[in-house]
Amino acid sequence: MHNADFMALLPLMVLSAACAAVMLLIAARRHHGLTLVLTLAGLAATLAVMPEAGRWMPIRITALLTLDTFALFFIALIVLATMATALLGYAYFDAWGGHREEFYLLLLIAALGACVLSMSRHFAAFFIGLEILSIALYALIAYPRRRAASVEAGIKYLVLAAGSAGFLLFGMALLYADRGTLDFSALAAGLSTPGQDRPLLLLAGLALLMVGVGFKLALVPFHMWTADVYQGAPAPVTAFVATASKSAMVALLVRLLAPLDFNTAPELFDILAALAAASMVGGNLLALRQQSVKRILAYSSIAHLGYVLVAILAAGPAFVPAVMFYMAAYTLAQLGSFGVIAMHSTAETEADSLERFRGLFHQRPWMAAVLTAMLLSLAGIPLTAGFIGKFYVILAGTQGRLWWLIITLVLTSGIGLFYYLRIIVTLFSPAQAPRTTPTAAGPAAFSGAAVLTVTTILLVWLGALPESLVRLLQHVTP
Amino acid sequence: MNALFYIAAAVAVLATLMVVTRAHAVHALLYLIVSLLAVALIFYLLGAPFAAALEVIVYAGAIMVLFVFVVMMLNLGAHSVQAQRQWLRPAMWIGPSILAAVLLAELIYVLAGSPAPAAVPVTVGPRAVGLALFGPYVLAVELASIMLLAGLVGAYHLARPETCGPTEGAA
Repeated sequence: MHNADFMALLPLMVLSAACAAVMLLIAARRHHGLTLVLTLAGLAATLAVMPEAGRWMPIRITALLTLDTFALFFIALIVLATMATALLGYAYFDAWGGHREEFYLLLLIAALGACVLSMSRHFAAFFIGLEILSIALYALIAYPRRRAASVEAGIKYLVLAAGSAGFLLFGMALLYADRGTLDFSALAAGLSTPGQDRPLLLLAGLALLMVGVGFKLALVPFHMWTADVYQGAPAPVTAFVATASKSAMVALLVRLLAPLDFNTAPELFDILAALAAASMVGGNLLALRQQSVKRILAYSSIAHLGYVLVAILAAGPAFVPAVMFYMAAYTLAQLGSFGVIAMHSTAETEADSLERFRGLFHQRPWMAAVLTAMLLSLAGIPLTAGFIGKFYVILAGTQGRLWWLIITLVLTSGIGLFYYLRIIVTLFSPAQAPRTTPTAAGPAAFSGAAVLTVTTILLVWLGALPESLVRLLQHVTP
Repeated sequence: MNALFYIAAAVAVLATLMVVTRAHAVHALLYLIVSLLAVALIFYLLGAPFAAALEVIVYAGAIMVLFVFVVMMLNLGAHSVQAQRQWLRPAMWIGPSILAAVLLAELIYVLAGSPAPAAVPVTVGPRAVGLALFGPYVLAVELASIMLLAGLVGAYHLARPETCGPTEGAA
């Protein structure tokens, strides 16, 4: 490794150093606020060294990782989402009796795993990054370990993620057996020859690989875990699973598929198109009758990943910026929605059912307004980031001439509008009885409110004036 | 050569099936050890003697001993001697023993100077493994340490006994 390699690795190194620092702080002195401050400082330092690392890109760091604008964008997105999660976690765990400090340590480790995923261009790095992320998430999901629902969600995630990792490993082994290398470029090279003489090992490996990726992205039919895990996990962790973990996996999928020409790999196109259509239809239909806000958002996230897959399949000139913009808009909206849920929950009682939010507007108008904005963005209403994101995805889809997928996207978005509006109607309908809301006080309330304010401002800003981000993303290639 | 591989693979699959279907933890563990030994033999046949040795030392040796210890400690009590006598009835150990004997016979056959494995182009020794691990894959080694940290912290948090009551952790 050379000097440039170390400079390009700075974000990962600072993040690892932050993990070590937080661990040592916990060993020396347990203090909730101090741990949060150190965690945020570590994440801010990671953001601060990114321009310095950016001066060396594009660069390939050993055989495993790569740093380019694409990776840098997703690292920034993941680090910002982690910051928001940490702040939401502070309010959420403030009054909790157990050890609260390890939450931040696990969160930092999970963020590191997600960053490795978005930088990896080798199956070994892919698997290790994924395992770092998953192992940290098992513990984070079951973090309030006296609450049965969380432990159940943690065990479900553990069993299913371990199973999907098995599929992934087997797929990688088959690809390696066929191509003789674990580099991502081997996949494109193997699929670039048109014709029927496609080696069976390669196709079988690819299919198994897509099972593993589909599980992580919660695409139908690998979505079984999503609703239960989203519902059982503590609300800040749900926000992290829905945003940072998904963003990292999308980044990886784009890097894996971008060098491919789908014209010479119709099998892969068919698999992914089927997954995208099933996710859009399945996710939106399953969300319709749910009574829990977290479950609705879980199913909606399945549908959103289906939309992203449409952009990935389009593979036209606008596809990379479309995916990046969509993930940014999606991350903001999910962070905000789960942020509002987290602000109404504590580690003991999760605010989850739709009834719990009835008449929120009359008690806490700002909260209701924020949640409304987030849901409108998820639904893709103009003046929110979600609208521009969806517009961009449809643009990419038309460039790729994916008419059937676009029609599915538009129709299922219409279905989606129903359940988003259903939550909004509940927010504004009269409250049946006054209830006590567990409101955090002092710095805890401030930390949550700060997250919600920033995400709302960004959401509207990106929706009203998307040029700044669009111009930034226009020339990015993975 | 291929026959040796298929026998070892069959033993591994059979033993693993038994691990999953046994109702008793100790019996499952016996089969798991056999399964790991079979995988080690497969590594050896594929030309990776160092990986085979690691598989035996680390998995079949260290990790399995830990498993067995934990299972034994969970079963402490007045009935434990009686229970252990029951676990060790011939019906229980005969299965793993037969499978292990198959592996042993294979190992002796290979070591007794049978023709060198033809399917293996190169033998990967410890030196090559070390050079790969700390050359092109050095970042993977570093990241694996972070992965272990995640497991350690998670296990510590989830398995910590609740002796301190609800006031624990108040700083």
